[in-house]
Amino acid sequence: MTETKPLNVSLSCLREILQAEVLCGEELLGGNAEGIYASDLMSDVLAYGNAGSILLTGLCTKQAVITAFLALFKAVVFIRGKLPTPEMIAFAKEKHLVVFMTETDMFEACLKLGYLAGVVQSDTLQQCEFEDKHVSHHEFMIEGSDFANSGMVSTSVKQILQSIGYDPMLIRRVAISTYEAEMNVVMHAHRGKVFLTAGDREIVVVIDDEGKGIPDIDLAMQRGFSTATEEQRALGFGSGMGLPNIKKSTDDLNISSVVGKGTRLEAHFLVQQPPSQ
Amino acid sequence: MKLQELLAKTGWKLVTKLDDKEITGVVISDMLSDVMTNAKPGELWLTVQTHKNTISAANLVDISAIVVTHGKEIPADTVALANRFRVNIISCELATFELVRKLVGLGIGA
Repeated sequence: MTETKPLNVSLSCLREILQAEVLCGEELLGGNAEGIYASDLMSDVLAYGNAGSILLTGLCTKQAVITAFLALFKAVVFIRGKLPTPEMIAFAKEKHLVVFMTETDMFEACLKLGYLAGVVQSDTLQQCEFEDKHVSHHEFMIEGSDFANSGMVSTSVKQILQSIGYDPMLIRRVAISTYEAEMNVVMHAHRGKVFLTAGDREIVVVIDDEGKGIPDIDLAMQRGFSTATEEQRALGFGSGMGLPNIKKSTDDLNISSVVGKGTRLEAHFLVQQPPSQ
Repeated sequence: MKLQELLAKTGWKLVTKLDDKEITGVVISDMLSDVMTNAKPGELWLTVQTHKNTISAANLVDISAIVVTHGKEIPADTVALANRFRVNIISCELATFELVRKLVGLGIGA
């Protein structure tokens, strides 16, 4: 690690790096940022932020803009595509604050700016390859025992991936894995959340459920092993191929489970061909 | 062979709107996970399952049509969902084995 250099870059340069949209204060972009403070807790910003800095935050309320003003910051960057209200923008304009919005998440934004500040070395950054311009995040809910709507989450996942333009065989692997995991939640859990992260290099599906959990994951991974009820089997479920199918379709799979609490399944898919869009 | 041609040659009944697709082969199972594992895009899926979950499974693996054998009634909500996702469902009176014989005779899956 190199020594941290004092930051002194123009706001227009920051906009480039974060690929941010300027929501107000276009005329102030020639000004320099003297530091960066990233937080969602406004008291921390007031306590530790230095004047002349820019604020990176996921807190999209008027408090964020007021805090930036009080701490004598030059700009506020709302991360992860959060859009401030017209009232917030009007306030920022009046106080000569620049307001940016970026689709980038906090971690990635900090890393990119950390590189700029010399905290992160450039070879580290190259390894990370932040060419990942199109990362999209989606979240879905699954209700346990809801057979009428089951399969809809994986159908939505497939539609999203198709609209981004991934390779059909990759979409198929993600769709199959998500479907099997979704059906597991419907059959064995009370409810679950699905998080889809679709990037240029990797697609990740995380399914987190509240339910009975899996006592023996190795056993559950065996082909043909199933704890499905007779009713579920009559519907064509419970062939004991769900988890093995997921395993076969993913590039990396992590399952953790606590009996009586729930199961978390994390499936990774490597993107060989960048999406066509 | 495409679906429309198959329907014309056999007289089997399409219960959904037609989305004319090329038939690449046949997969037979009543277990959804088996279909998810084994079905290849464009295959006909022969099954006795008629509930709504078959539609999302069929859609996810891009089969050309679900063929419900033994003349089983197909519930209206299944047909509605199939139309929404452009999944074809064919209803057929034949038993699965007889149906396979017919398909092989027509050169499908050969």
